[in-house]
Amino acid sequence: MQKASRLKRELQMLSTEPPPGITCWQTEERMDDLRAQIVGGVGTPYEGGVFSLEVKIPERYPFEPPKIRFLTPIYHPNIDNSGRICHDALKLPPKGAWKPSLNISTVLTSIQLLMAEPNPDDPLMADISSEFKYNKHLFLEKAKKWTQEHAVQKNTGVVEDNKENPPNQNVSSRKREELGGQQEAGEPAKRRCV
Amino acid sequence: MEGSDGVEQGGSEQPESQRRRQLDRLDREEAFYQFVNNLSDEDYRLMRDNNLLGNPGEVTEDELFSRLQQIKDGPEQQNTNPSTESQEEQVEQPESSEDPPGGDSLLDWLNTVRRTGNTTRTGHRGNQSWRAVSQTNPNSGDFRFSLEISVNRNLAEQQAAAEGEQEPPEQSPEVQEVAANPEPPVPMEAEVVEEPVVEELAVIVEPEPELEEAVLPEVEREPPSPAPVQPEQAPPCSSPRRGQRRARSRSPEPRRTRARLARSRSPLNLDQLDGLPNPRHPYTSQSPTSSTDTPSVPQVEGSSRTRQHILSRQNLTEGDVQPPRVDAEPVPEGQPVISQEGESTGIEGGAAGRRPPTIMLDLQVRRVRPGEYRQRDSIASRTRSRSQNSNNTFLYESERGGFRRTFSRSERAGVRTYVSTIRIPIRRISDAGLGEATSMALQSMIRQIMTGFGELGYLMDSDSDSSDSNRGTSTSADLETLNNPEANNVDTSAADVDEQPVAAGVRGRTVETEMDEGLATGPQGSGGRARPRPPINLEEPSSLPFLRLAHFFLLNDDDDDQPQGLTKEQIDNLSMRNFGESDALKTCSVCITEYAEGNKLRKLPCSHEYHVHCIDRWLSENSTCPICRRAVLVSANRESVI
Repeated sequence: MQKASRLKRELQMLSTEPPPGITCWQTEERMDDLRAQIVGGVGTPYEGGVFSLEVKIPERYPFEPPKIRFLTPIYHPNIDNSGRICHDALKLPPKGAWKPSLNISTVLTSIQLLMAEPNPDDPLMADISSEFKYNKHLFLEKAKKWTQEHAVQKNTGVVEDNKENPPNQNVSSRKREELGGQQEAGEPAKRRCV
Repeated sequence: MEGSDGVEQGGSEQPESQRRRQLDRLDREEAFYQFVNNLSDEDYRLMRDNNLLGNPGEVTEDELFSRLQQIKDGPEQQNTNPSTESQEEQVEQPESSEDPPGGDSLLDWLNTVRRTGNTTRTGHRGNQSWRAVSQTNPNSGDFRFSLEISVNRNLAEQQAAAEGEQEPPEQSPEVQEVAANPEPPVPMEAEVVEEPVVEELAVIVEPEPELEEAVLPEVEREPPSPAPVQPEQAPPCSSPRRGQRRARSRSPEPRRTRARLARSRSPLNLDQLDGLPNPRHPYTSQSPTSSTDTPSVPQVEGSSRTRQHILSRQNLTEGDVQPPRVDAEPVPEGQPVISQEGESTGIEGGAAGRRPPTIMLDLQVRRVRPGEYRQRDSIASRTRSRSQNSNNTFLYESERGGFRRTFSRSERAGVRTYVSTIRIPIRRISDAGLGEATSMALQSMIRQIMTGFGELGYLMDSDSDSSDSNRGTSTSADLETLNNPEANNVDTSAADVDEQPVAAGVRGRTVETEMDEGLATGPQGSGGRARPRPPINLEEPSSLPFLRLAHFFLLNDDDDDQPQGLTKEQIDNLSMRNFGESDALKTCSVCITEYAEGNKLRKLPCSHEYHVHCIDRWLSENSTCPICRRAVLVSANRESVI
């Protein structure tokens, strides 16, 4: 019911204080068709890449989650070839965890986190997921290759944004590598993709 | 709708008109809040429940006022009588007719229909025209829509008919939920009425079973009483448009053949699809039952049900098989089917001359809350078959993996009715495991049900000349088929009946009632002509509109997990207050708008507050706080949500 006024406010917030490593803007005067970019986190295989996303705001927003997909190809266990994202915040309860107090900014931030922290237990791409689990090195290699191929050359001008990445992301991704693919617990709600 | 305000795009570039529009909108938003602030609680509920509030800034205050006046003046549209729980409140819904032109718009509309409350729409695509009615009961959150698609060469005529068409009145609930159960089922109901008009004109006046979707009653509905078969004149020529499918249906004789064929098909192949170890165990008993009433039995368990009706009407001129039923049939248990009959009879009267064979699908999927299912779990994986059968009524029940399913079929007077019921416990769990399994199983279940629709495609495609010869043999063979499994399972079914008086008994009675109707109707021309037939692959004949509809249900994963909201009463029970100046500055996290003085706020048990009109909408479909996700209801039989 509050889509218009709420979107207006969100867009204002996104333009004035965007989350680190994330930009989001509207296309063609349309408030419900947004584009976003997420900068690949330092220490992740996506480092150096800038990933474009499409953010579509449904009519019933915020009672429904925004529809977000990657436009830039990305090699990730939870993101499929057409860019669809398996993420609980993008789905309505009871399956998902969307709630109206989330917003575009928070959802994009959680996607950023998902990039740094794949969830192989809820795979959208089973092959990538098992690779992530059991052959981490190969996964990292491929993901980096994809990043170089698809996410880097197009957006050379934006690479500096990397430095804005929140430090905690670096920490967590390092931790992830130390853990060697062990998945952190605490994400039980993310298993609804396949 | 409001995608055009480019606020962020640098004000200087905006045309003046656009800026003005924005200002207007802001004014209207302001007025909206004012309007809501000043509404009495009663008026607020009235408008909310009728979906009249719209979006802030969308309409002017004047418009809101006039809407309020309208709804107040028209008491027939009033939906706020909380005491009348068992009345269908949506029969007199405001109809907002829009006519999306294209075929895709139909699916689009289906996608949004659940959310838009009560609407009626019609449209055409090619030689098909459709009319869809959606109703949302604000009391229970029940949703129901019916879709009628008619394939018709005579659009104008069909249109006229569609206009005269009414949602028929309610059938009385045969099963009531236990009163102590505060959780109403939150069903997603869909009725699909498919009426391929094969021969000349198609006037679609289908007595559509109106479903009683009141707050608590678990409506165990009777299949719609068969529409009266009108004396019809065989149209002189057949429809060239259906030529591909119905190449042989040019003359009345093939048509009759087809109708028989239809009766000889059984859609009871639901189980074959997923290779159940314990598929249905049909049971046929030849003794007619005479119970005429269907008592209300407390039902603890909710159910998800799918129901299909197929009405095959035959022209009288060729109708040596089924006697026409022109008058309203005596309806047991006083359900208002009579008026429905009368109505349809009246309408059909005009079209009576050329009523073609009609197929009507009635699909219902009903969802249930979790707590109600508990007592079933112990017997969950049992397979049961119980059937009341006389002449041609069959009831199959099976249970496995926590799902219980029944399927009944009855035929009378050229009308065959399928009632398929699946009861599915919806567990509101947000984490993995169970939920996934449940959802998958549910999906496969629905797929099977939908596959039942395949029969229609089958019968449409195969009006073969040989069907007449099938008729004789199929009767005995089918009865045998149906009886054999039953013999193997007598013990099981008997035991189950004892254990499950609620479920089985009710089902049985339901069928009995149907059967009684059938008996009252007159001689049955089609005893036990059920012949199981391999299911049609859903993917194949998807050109049929109802199969597309099936796709709609199958492909929309979200439909498997309909969010379950609170009822109107439950929402209204939450505390409300007016925002006062003294309050610390706070923002409604739904609309990200700061509260203004006089705003009506609703406070959830977790102490989080929102605008009433913001949170009410969320709670009508969800049951958790948008901030902390705590369950708003801390009811005993509700599983704690997240």
